[in-house]
Amino acid sequence: MSAPITKPESSRRQFFNGTVRGAFLFLLGAATTLLFRRSQPKRTVWQIDPYKCICCTRCATECVMHPSAVKCVQVYPMCGYCKLCTGYFEPEPISLDTGAENQLCPTGAIKRRALEDPYYEYTIDEPLCIGCAKCVKGCVLFGNGSFFLQVRHDRCVNCDECAIAIACPPQAFQRVPADKPYLMKDREHQA
Amino acid sequence: MRRLVRGCLWLALLGLPLASAFGVERFPPPEFDAGYKMPVTTVPAARAQWLSYLDVAVLVAALALTSHLVLRKRSRDGVLAVSVFSLLYFGFYQQGCVCSIGSVQDITLALFNSGYVVPLTTVAFFLLPLVFTLFFGRTFCAAVCPMGAIQDLTLLKPVKVPAWLEHVLGVLPFVYLGAGILFAATGSAFIICEYDPFIALYRRTGSFGMLALGAAFLIAGIFIGRPYCRFLCPYGALLSLVSRYSKWGVTLSPTDCIHCQICDTACPYGAIADPTLKDPHPDPRKRKRRLIALAALVPLLVVLGGWLGGRLGVPFSRMHATVSLAEQVAAEDAGKVKELTDASKAFRQTGQPAEELYAEALRVRGRFVGGSVWFGAFVGLVFGVTLISVSEPRKQDIYDPHPGDCVSCGRCYVYCPKEIVRLKRIQSKNVIPLTPVRGEQKS
Amino acid sequence: MMSDALNSPAKATRRQFLRRSVGGASLFGLGSASGLLSFPAQAEKPVVGKGGGGHTLGSEFTYDLSKFYKTDPALIQYDEAAKITTGFKELRAIAVGPADHVYAAGDQVVRVFNKAGERVSEFELGDRPRCLAVAATGNVFVGMKDHVEVFNTSGAQHARWKSAGSDAVLTAVAVAEKDVFVADAGNRVVLRYDLSGKLVGRIGKKNPEKHIPGFIVPSPYLDLSVGADGLLWVVNPGRHRLEAYTFDGDLQSFWGEESLGVKGFCGCCNPIHFARLPDGRFVTSEKGLPRVKVYSTKGDFEGVVAGPELFPKQIENPHTAGVSGVCMDLAVDSTGRVLLADAFTREVRVFTRKK
Repeated sequence: MSAPITKPESSRRQFFNGTVRGAFLFLLGAATTLLFRRSQPKRTVWQIDPYKCICCTRCATECVMHPSAVKCVQVYPMCGYCKLCTGYFEPEPISLDTGAENQLCPTGAIKRRALEDPYYEYTIDEPLCIGCAKCVKGCVLFGNGSFFLQVRHDRCVNCDECAIAIACPPQAFQRVPADKPYLMKDREHQA
Repeated sequence: MRRLVRGCLWLALLGLPLASAFGVERFPPPEFDAGYKMPVTTVPAARAQWLSYLDVAVLVAALALTSHLVLRKRSRDGVLAVSVFSLLYFGFYQQGCVCSIGSVQDITLALFNSGYVVPLTTVAFFLLPLVFTLFFGRTFCAAVCPMGAIQDLTLLKPVKVPAWLEHVLGVLPFVYLGAGILFAATGSAFIICEYDPFIALYRRTGSFGMLALGAAFLIAGIFIGRPYCRFLCPYGALLSLVSRYSKWGVTLSPTDCIHCQICDTACPYGAIADPTLKDPHPDPRKRKRRLIALAALVPLLVVLGGWLGGRLGVPFSRMHATVSLAEQVAAEDAGKVKELTDASKAFRQTGQPAEELYAEALRVRGRFVGGSVWFGAFVGLVFGVTLISVSEPRKQDIYDPHPGDCVSCGRCYVYCPKEIVRLKRIQSKNVIPLTPVRGEQKS
Repeated sequence: MMSDALNSPAKATRRQFLRRSVGGASLFGLGSASGLLSFPAQAEKPVVGKGGGGHTLGSEFTYDLSKFYKTDPALIQYDEAAKITTGFKELRAIAVGPADHVYAAGDQVVRVFNKAGERVSEFELGDRPRCLAVAATGNVFVGMKDHVEVFNTSGAQHARWKSAGSDAVLTAVAVAEKDVFVADAGNRVVLRYDLSGKLVGRIGKKNPEKHIPGFIVPSPYLDLSVGADGLLWVVNPGRHRLEAYTFDGDLQSFWGEESLGVKGFCGCCNPIHFARLPDGRFVTSEKGLPRVKVYSTKGDFEGVVAGPELFPKQIENPHTAGVSGVCMDLAVDSTGRVLLADAFTREVRVFTRKK
C-alpha cells in the first residue's frame, strides 16, 4: 500500500483532467492572494453601541442563540440606586416592592436589594435576561441609563454575519477588537 | 481605511479617562455610609485568538488524516472515527461556526465589497478543503465537515433515490450556491447560514424554525443518505466540481471489476457510476443529432435564465435592508403608509437626507438586477449541462464511484469482494511468511 | 501477480512527479500573482446593514408610555406665545432680571433679551455655565461646575468665588436679599453664601434629629428658589417633592408625590426645575415624560403649561430624554409669563395664560 490506487484512465481524459486541475490551481492561487489581502488576522467581535440602541427588542428575537447572547448589564457607578427605579418597576406600580406585579422585567431578571436608606441596589440575573431592553428603556428614559444592552461574549458565537446586526434599525452593532470586546457606558458622558 | 478609523475610535475611547482630567465632568454616585462596595460589571472575554488558529490546525490535520485513511488505508472504520471527532469538535465544540459551507458567502462578500474585512480563519476554512479536494477528492465531505458527519452517522436505513430524481435534485446545490452568492455579493443576507439545518443542533439552541428544519433533515437523513450534502449543500456543489478533476480519488478495483454490483447497492449516496457497457445510443446519427440539439439548447437556456433572473432582480432587492428602508421611507413620505417602522424612525433621527438613501437603494437595486441576470444565466447553464451529462454519461467499463458525487465515505471498500480479497491478501502477507506452505501460492 | 496489478500505483517516475509538482506550483503562483494585480485591496465602502427586517416582541416586552404622551386639553391652561432663539449650541439655563429681561446662559456666554425677545446685550464667560440668577440690583450670579462667578450689569466680572470642591456640580443659584443659595447636586447639599461669597451654611444634609431626610440626587438636577414667603424651596428629586427650608436649614414643609399621571411627578427623579409665579404658585418641569405644570402654593395640581406633545424630540429618542443635559430650566417674569429653556430647540419658549 505504498501509493493510493489510481484509476486506469485514458490518456485523453488524463490530459483533460490535468488541464482543468491546473486551471483550478491557478484560480485557487488567485483567490488566495486576493483573499489574504482582504482579510485580517486580528479577531474582531460584535458589540452594541449603547448610545445608539433604541430598545426595539430585536436583540431578543433575532439572535441565533435562544435566549439571546445580548443581555442587559448594570454599570453600578452610573446607577442612581433609586427607590423608584424606572428600570425595575412597571410604569405605574401598585406599590414599590418586589411583588411580581410591580416588576417591569418580563422574566424577573432584575434583583432588587435594599441598602441603607434611601438606596437600593439593582442587579441583573443574567441567565434570566433575554435582552428585550424593556428595562433599558425605562432606565434611559427617566434615569441615568446605567442599564444597557451588551453582547455577552461568553454566549455570543460571533457569527460572521450577525443576525441582529442586520436587523438593528439604528445600526448600533459594530465590530470591535476581540481583546476589547465591550462598549461600556461611562459616567464621563454624564453631567 | 476602515481599520484606521476604528483604530482612531479606540484611541479616542482610551483617551477618555485622560480627557476627564481636562474638563469632562463626572457626576458622583451616591455616598454610602454603611461601607457598601459597588460591584464591578463582569466582562466575559471573547474566544481567544489562538483558538481560531487551533481550529485551522485541526482542520488541516483532519483533512490530511481523512485523505490518508480514505486513499491509503482504505479504512471505513478510520473515516467513521474521524467523523465522530469532527462532529464533536467542529460541530458541538466549535458550534458549527466557522464552517466552510458558510464561508462561501464571506468570501463572496469580500470579493465584491472591499470594505468587508474577512477573518483569516474563514479564508482558511474556504480554501483548504478546496485544495485538498483538488488532490484527494471529497475527503472533506467524508469526515471533516460536521454537517456531513452528522448525516453520515445518522444514516440507518438507506433508501435508493431514483436516478431521475437524483438528477433533478442534483441541480439544487448549484441554484442554492448561485443564490447564496447573489445575496452575499449584494450584502443583503447570508442565506446559507440562515437556513443551515444543523447549526441549531450544534448550538443546542435556536429558533423554532431552525430546530424544526434540523429535525426534518435528521429524520429524512435516516432514510435518504446525506440529503443536505447531495441536494442542497452549495459548498458540496463547488467541491463536486473540483473533485471531478482531482488528482486522486476513491476508486474500487481498477482492472478486474466482476460487475457484482454490490458496491452500487451498498453506496447509500447513489455515487457509484454504472459502467457504460451498453451503448445507450445505438444509432450514432440519432445520438449526434441529439447532442447538437442539446448543445444548441444550452445558450438558449442561459439567455432565458438571464432574462428571468433580470425580472426577479427588483423583488429580490427587497431582501436588502437599504432597499426596503428606502421603500418604506418613500411610502411614508408619499403618505401611503401611516405606521412608521423602527428602522424608518431610526433613519429619520439620523437626519440623513432621504435622497441619499434613495440613491444608495437604487445603486443596490442596480447591483441586484445585474447580479440576478448572472444568477439566472448560471441556473440556465446548470440545467443545460445537467441535460447533457444525463444524456451523455461519463464513459467507463466498470462500477466505480463517480468522482463528483462520491463523498469518500469508504463504505464501498467494505463491500467490494475484490477489495476484501485484496485486503485479506495484504493482511496475510504481513502475518504469514510468503513462502508457500502447501504449494498453492497462486490464487 | 494479481495483487501487484491491484496494488499498482500510477507508474509515474520520480522525475515526472517532480515536473508535475513544479508545474502545479507555478500555476498556483501565477494565479497568486494575477490575484495580486487584478483587484485593489483598499476598501471602497464599508459594509453596514441598515436594519429593517426582523420582528419584535409583544407589548409585554416593550416599555410603552404613549398613553401618557397626550394631555387632556381641558387641563392645558397656557398657550405657547413666543420663542426666543438664543443662538447657542448648548443652552444651559435661564433667569429673569430687572425689567423682565431674559438672561440665557449657554456655551460660554450670557445673552440678555428684552421682553419682546430682542437681544439687548451679551457678555463672555470664562467657563461653561450651568445655572444663573439675577439679583434685583442687576448683578448676575453664574454657577459654573464648581464655583460661582458674579458679573455686574455691564457684564464685567465682579467676583469669582471659591470652588465648592472637586465633587461639586452646581445646578441652581437663587439670590435673596442678603444671601445667595447654590444647589450642589454632586454633594447633594444647598450651600448658603453671603453676597460677598463667604460660605455661611449648608442646608439639607441628612439629619434624622431635625427630620431632614436628605436630598436624593441620582443625576445632576437639583433646583432651588427663594420665595416671597421667605423660605428656601428646594427640589428633592429622588423623593419627587419640593421641600421648604428656613435660611438656617430647618425643614418647614414639603409637598409632591410620584406618579406618571398628570398630578404627580414621573420617573425616578423629578421635577428637574421649578419657578414661582408672582402669586407664589409653582411651575415645575419634568424629564423623561417632558411636561411643565402648575401647582398651587399648597402643592395642589392646577393645570398644565406644556404637555409631552410639545417636546417631540425628547420623546423620540430615549437617550436624550433622561440622561443629563436635558435643560428644561424655568423662569417666570413679573407678568406671569412662563419661560422655558428648551435644550433641544435651543430656544426660550414663552407660555402665556389662556384667556
